[in-house]
Amino acid sequence: MNPSPLIKEFLEKGRSESCPIIDMHAHLGPYQGIYFPNPSPEDMVRTMDRCGVRMIVSSSHASLIDTRANYEMAKVVKKYPSRFKAYWVINPNYPERMQRDIANFPDMEGFVGFKFLSDYHKYPITSPRYEPALKYADQHRLLVLMHTWGESRYDSPALVEKLATRYPNVTFLMGHSGYGEWEKSIQIGRDYPNVYLELTAAYAVNGVIDWMVEEAGSEKIVFGTDLPWFDPHYGIGCVLFSRISDEDRHDILHRNAEGLLKPYL
Amino acid sequence: MKFFDCNASFGTSMIRPIRFAESAQELLNEMDYYGISEALVYHARQRDDSPLVGNEILLKEINGLDRLHGTFAILPLQTGELGSLEVISQRMKAANVRAFWAYPAEHKYLMTRTALDPLYDLMVERQIPLFISVNESCGGISGWYLIENILSEAEDLTLVVTEHGSWGHDRFFRPLVEKYENLYLDISRYELDGGISDFCGKYGADRLLFGTGFPKWNPGCSILTLTHADITTKEREMIASGNLESMLRRVRL
Repeated sequence: MNPSPLIKEFLEKGRSESCPIIDMHAHLGPYQGIYFPNPSPEDMVRTMDRCGVRMIVSSSHASLIDTRANYEMAKVVKKYPSRFKAYWVINPNYPERMQRDIANFPDMEGFVGFKFLSDYHKYPITSPRYEPALKYADQHRLLVLMHTWGESRYDSPALVEKLATRYPNVTFLMGHSGYGEWEKSIQIGRDYPNVYLELTAAYAVNGVIDWMVEEAGSEKIVFGTDLPWFDPHYGIGCVLFSRISDEDRHDILHRNAEGLLKPYL
Repeated sequence: MKFFDCNASFGTSMIRPIRFAESAQELLNEMDYYGISEALVYHARQRDDSPLVGNEILLKEINGLDRLHGTFAILPLQTGELGSLEVISQRMKAANVRAFWAYPAEHKYLMTRTALDPLYDLMVERQIPLFISVNESCGGISGWYLIENILSEAEDLTLVVTEHGSWGHDRFFRPLVEKYENLYLDISRYELDGGISDFCGKYGADRLLFGTGFPKWNPGCSILTLTHADITTKEREMIASGNLESMLRRVRL
């Protein structure tokens, strides 16, 4: 059995005082293609408590469709300020709303940046439609969480690389770590100081976390679960049982996120 | 808690996984790292090569290793590659093989009674479980539609569906679980938050089996999820090992 004290603690208690998880990729509420037993903010807080998750950064499912629902997400952040932060969803299909949303962004307490879902919104992340949001994020040094997927025409790792150079003050979180195109994603995480690999769903692929740590370094990886999609213990178990050190596990599970969220904590 | 993995594999496959076990001994080393006691296993060559080749490689590799339990990949008997039903039965009895795997996409056959009639009858009569990934396909049908097709033709078959995916499969499989009482699911990819406890609350714990999907998936996922799922200790132990042990005990070789 792996001798890590952190693994032992999580197996015994399901959580760790010394390793309070921060989830950088979460959602909220019901969604089209899946049954969720625990979709409400209260359900999610209960799950977070069960799994030792200190804080999550969410974009509600409703706002992925209709960005006016971002304001509902703001109410959840206001109700649970120590547990929820949020991304403002940008939907390039409605550019007229984007201008207004960006103008309102400074008033939205607890929002740490933007969320792009290009594979679903069907505009490449390099499209001019995203430029107003990216310029604003660059100017204000915001986080941008992007859904990224290997070989996608909308959000492949190669497209992320283009943005990383163009907007050096934006911190890009590669949601799902460009799933499947691991070599390219890891190279980008290694080469660009403003790009982080985010683990939602990717964590399950056996050996990929070891590879990321070895090539990009544990300081370039953040944890996420898509909650209410995935049980945090599922992803935590992958990080814990990867062939990496406990220091690496702390980096991935909370330390790197603490650094990124410092201006908002 | 004892973990008995219903879905693990070793050996060189055509597409290299990032991390894998080349030999049975390497698989045992991996299991030790995760604290897994026993595993029902297949060799990558049983899927990626002819079952004729792969089944024999597996038996040779696991010979004398008590913690690893073998399976046979099936083919329609009409081509004669696996021999007669009697030959298969004798081989299984001699090697204590108590489960089948089906890879219809790779081995190109139909999962229908027309193709598999005598084998289905053998499985039902002797209560031998059949394992199949929900990612399999044949004859133009795939996924849960394929699973329902199999069960609608062989309702009494003990069918274990693996890798049912993380992107929302409950709406697919719950109607089948309600209709077919011999349908089981492995939890290697049941990562839905609250999924295991919600499922157990409605259907009980006896339809779920602990599986890792090694080497494709990280076994740490299902270990920590099951360890802290919001279910009773008894239910946890049933899923971790008890259900699979009972299933294999019921087999009459």
